[in-house]
Amino acid sequence: MSSAGFGSGLDEVFGPDRGDGPELIQLLTPEGERVEHPEFAFDLGDEAILGFYRDLVMTRRIDTEATALQRQGELGIWASLLGQEAAQIGSGRAMRDQDYAFPTYREHGVAWCRGVDPLHLLGLFRGVDQGGWDPIADKFNLYTIVIGAQTLHATGYAMGLQRDGVIGTGDPDRDSAVIAYFGDGATSQGDVNEAFIWASVFNAPVVFFCQNNQWAISEPIERQTKIPLYQRALGFGFPGLRVDGNDVLAVHAVTQAALQRAREGSGPTFVEAFTYRMGAHTTSDDPTRYRVSGDLEHWKLKDPIERVRAYLSRGGVADDSYFAGVENEADELAARLRKGCLEMPDPSPLDIFGQVYDEITPELEAQRDQFAAYLASFEPADASADEGALR
Amino acid sequence: MTAITLAKGVTMGLRAAMERDSKVVVMGEDVGKLGGVFRVTDGLQKDFGEDRVIDTPLAESGILGTAVGLAMRGYRPVCEIQFDGFVYPAYDQIVSQVAKMHFRSRGRLPMPIVIRIPFGGGIGAVEHHSESPEAYFAHTAGLKVVACSNPVDSYWMIQQSIESNDPIVFLEPKRRYWEKGDLDVDVAPDPLFSSRLMREGTDATVLAYGPMVKTALEAATAAADEGKSVEVIDLRTLSPLDMAPVHASTRKTGRVVVVHEAPVTLGLGAEIAARITEECFYSLEAPVLRVGGFDTPYPPSRIEEDYLPDLDRVLDAVDRSLAY
Amino acid sequence: MSDLKWFKLPDVGEGLTEAEIVTWKVKVGDTVKINDVVVEIETAKSLVELPSPYAGVVSELLAGEGDTVNVGTPIIAVETGDAGAPAATPTGPTPEDLVPTPKDDEAVEPGLIGGPAPGGRTSVLVGYGPRTTEAKRRPRKGAVPADASPAAAQVGVQHSFTPHATPAPDVSIEDATPAVPPELVRRAEPRGTSPEVAPPETPASVTVLAKPPVRKLAKDLGVDLAAVVPTGPGGTISREDVQGHTSRPEPDGSATAVPSSPTQAGQRETRVTVKGVRKMTAQAMVSSAFTAPHVTEWVTFDATRTMKMVARLRSHRDFRDVRVSPLLIVARAVCLAVRRTPEVNATWDEAAQEIVVKHYVNLGIAAATPRGLLVPNVKDAQAHSAVELAEALNRLTAVAREGKTPPTDQAGGTFTITNVGVFGVDAGTPILNPGESAILCMGAIRKQPWVVGNAIKPRWVTTLALSFDHRVVDGEQGSRFLANVASIVTDPGSALLF
Repeated sequence: MSSAGFGSGLDEVFGPDRGDGPELIQLLTPEGERVEHPEFAFDLGDEAILGFYRDLVMTRRIDTEATALQRQGELGIWASLLGQEAAQIGSGRAMRDQDYAFPTYREHGVAWCRGVDPLHLLGLFRGVDQGGWDPIADKFNLYTIVIGAQTLHATGYAMGLQRDGVIGTGDPDRDSAVIAYFGDGATSQGDVNEAFIWASVFNAPVVFFCQNNQWAISEPIERQTKIPLYQRALGFGFPGLRVDGNDVLAVHAVTQAALQRAREGSGPTFVEAFTYRMGAHTTSDDPTRYRVSGDLEHWKLKDPIERVRAYLSRGGVADDSYFAGVENEADELAARLRKGCLEMPDPSPLDIFGQVYDEITPELEAQRDQFAAYLASFEPADASADEGALR
Repeated sequence: MTAITLAKGVTMGLRAAMERDSKVVVMGEDVGKLGGVFRVTDGLQKDFGEDRVIDTPLAESGILGTAVGLAMRGYRPVCEIQFDGFVYPAYDQIVSQVAKMHFRSRGRLPMPIVIRIPFGGGIGAVEHHSESPEAYFAHTAGLKVVACSNPVDSYWMIQQSIESNDPIVFLEPKRRYWEKGDLDVDVAPDPLFSSRLMREGTDATVLAYGPMVKTALEAATAAADEGKSVEVIDLRTLSPLDMAPVHASTRKTGRVVVVHEAPVTLGLGAEIAARITEECFYSLEAPVLRVGGFDTPYPPSRIEEDYLPDLDRVLDAVDRSLAY
Repeated sequence: MSDLKWFKLPDVGEGLTEAEIVTWKVKVGDTVKINDVVVEIETAKSLVELPSPYAGVVSELLAGEGDTVNVGTPIIAVETGDAGAPAATPTGPTPEDLVPTPKDDEAVEPGLIGGPAPGGRTSVLVGYGPRTTEAKRRPRKGAVPADASPAAAQVGVQHSFTPHATPAPDVSIEDATPAVPPELVRRAEPRGTSPEVAPPETPASVTVLAKPPVRKLAKDLGVDLAAVVPTGPGGTISREDVQGHTSRPEPDGSATAVPSSPTQAGQRETRVTVKGVRKMTAQAMVSSAFTAPHVTEWVTFDATRTMKMVARLRSHRDFRDVRVSPLLIVARAVCLAVRRTPEVNATWDEAAQEIVVKHYVNLGIAAATPRGLLVPNVKDAQAHSAVELAEALNRLTAVAREGKTPPTDQAGGTFTITNVGVFGVDAGTPILNPGESAILCMGAIRKQPWVVGNAIKPRWVTTLALSFDHRVVDGEQGSRFLANVASIVTDPGSALLF
């Protein structure tokens, strides 16, 4: 059945201008022009924008290298963030140290902002662990694969902040907020809607940051909603905003405002970062089966990095040597990631038993010991068999 | 020494835990002013405030999902699921999130969450209020599952569960809420994850937990009148299972009957029978028999007494075991 | 330090084992960076560009265009320069490279769902994809012999992935004490209506029905359950069936010292495994003979009056349902004579350095049974009337003859009579049943010339021999006891004097 069968089209969801209407908060056009917005302004200088540019390039480089590693069999899978770099860098850089982020499995740019070593991200997708970073220390939770489940965790964590008395004290180093990431598909999940209700009725300090990349694997946004997503927030009792998700300055400004609102004790905000998933859902997906290349061409013109580069070049803020330096740094990062990925040891199959509980059960100990004895009963495998092979 | 009900034992245990640790929060539907539909949280909100005794929206997944976040922030949430049949909306959060968080984070994110579930039938309720979902949780790695059967255990086990850094599904036998027992707080409790010999016997062993412990003990009394000596063990912990006393009893009697309200197919009894077979094969004079619910949904209340294992069905199984 | 790396043709998927080299994108001497496309290959389904996993200088192309190459074969060698660190930073593929482009071809492109993936896998949405496996076991360290005994297998299975994994807990405990004392075994009658009551119907291929503890017993006694005649409910083999079978001669003679099967031609010896009752008898006799210093005495006397009395009793109303034999009179005599010399009904307690004198007589009768030598005893024989004693002896012999003597009947004996007379011999020097201090041996009773008064008359003459433990019993007591028994058998009326 075609989406037309529901009498719904992109016009109905986004309005006739398909998301580019006046409700879209934008501070940097795709051509790299700074524009004003009556409510939101980017209040940092060009130095910060240079930093954003570097973040954006590094993030994309992490993503492309990981994709290549997957193609070479070194990762089981990779969920590309291609096209969504600005939404993640803009929001990630709006967080303070004490804020806490709850990502999906695609927030590689936010992880970068939180100081998580990208190698840890590769570990998860290589299948050597399920997230090797320290979520408490990095204030960046483990990736959540079950769609939308993390929005409740974020809300609960925010309720914990309330009970800890770190909301609305006026101390900028103390007041804290939570940001929950999710996609357009997740807005259909019960958990996400429950999270909205809980955050609303408890006035929890949480920012619901939805990257509307318009695709839930193959399902277009029309299958998830019949009104613009940001408008849903009203029904739950808190403000919703739509920001140009490919505009790092606007995303930063809006998210910073929403986080500050939460820290002050004014409750949750819904931010819809309007963007586009330029890549496949994951490395094994084939988007040519369900979407037309015209969309891709349309969105290529809105590339989140190109517009920042254009702005920096045009204003003379950065020259070619700066850009080359960033590219060089990105390639060095990629080399480090590739080396680190290939050297990443597989975990011992016996490690898993000790990780299930804080207090291991006698049953599990017995299983582990039995399994260890079983494994030890095999002749050692021929270690040289696969050496140097493309695995 | 005080005579208290099983429900009161939980209340007192919760209160003691909340007094001891300010990070303990109680959350659930109607747990505040009302004190819960079984009055188990009676008076707690009045004394500990709305921040620590939280009346939640009517969304079980929300209760567990936010509990995960609270636990990450260092709290020890005690979640009340109002009735067994309402736990399923929270199933994903329990199984995919609560149970796995410690494992995924390799211990960096412990989940000291207690999920209290009044369970089982026998209260003449409308549907969805009489279920025994324990096997779903006992089957899930990362969770621990315990069931209290009497007021002394309810008082201690809830406190021990709250003190555990692992997530625990805490099953309360709702039809036994008003059973009384003498509590002496000066007597040290058994470890949480231990089963307990309740009555010694030589001819057959009956294993039970939660509401069926009383049924099993009554059956043993009736059996004694017939000259049969039945041993009764209260399992108390369903995951992990404490099989050592069960194996010892099996080696003594050679005959075992497992009793639970939940349907027998793939239930706790099936696991226990398998464990006994693995460890005590040469001691078995008869196959391990199960007495439990049928493979039907829980029936309308007017016939629930037929569905639920009772003294006669337990002894019927004991007789069948002895016939081998 | 230089380092040459070979890039092997990726294993491009389930069922696809080779590919054709279509176009080399590089030549020898070219510098390649990681992720540079080096070659285009064609599999059975699609054209695929392979990115280089190495950076360096191409030193050799190992296959020509148009060649078909097996998966795993090196196709290009790259001189990577310094071994440890990456020689060059990788060049990022352009974002566009990574977005699949539409293809006219029906084939699934490598890396897409259902298409080939590295490592012989098939692509899925969420990970590496399923592996191709082989129906072949991995070699193990010789620990699992193909002929592992069922018992070892059982133990192995028991402790696979089960808690409390101490070595063979069930086995060791069971070895120490029987799980269920026989007297506790209940025997409720199966109710025909309930399918669970009777053991399930036997499939044709299963010939043996026995519960686990019986199987354990059979294993311990070396009994093949298939050879045991079942007498239990529903055709099951009971404990008693197994015990009764232990010494029964088996067709292959394995349970008896003398093989009953004909000697095969050319076979001058037969080796018989010592087990079961034979083994227990051997151990008991060795233990007894080399622990208790044996003394044997005998007396030959006229037993004619006893024979007459036996004849009278056989027609007596009280004894009409029992079999009366001279053994009854001898047994009765023993019970009476013990009162005067209780030392013969005692036990040497080595550990306590005490002599335990019994005030009861558990009178053992050595019986040659189908299972071998067994010594069931009549409990509290001293308290039995003659007729009761006769009944008890009858029962013991009947059960023993059927080979069904339970262990309880053999336990706790205090004195033993062995009747070798039934074999036609006159006397012997019996060895004590371990733990007892005397054993009486009855010889054959036969008519012999005997001096009565001054005349030689045909009389029923017999010999009794007594072996006793000289640690407990001295010659005096032993002799008096033997004389007392002989006097009662000579003149049953004298029993009134005891």
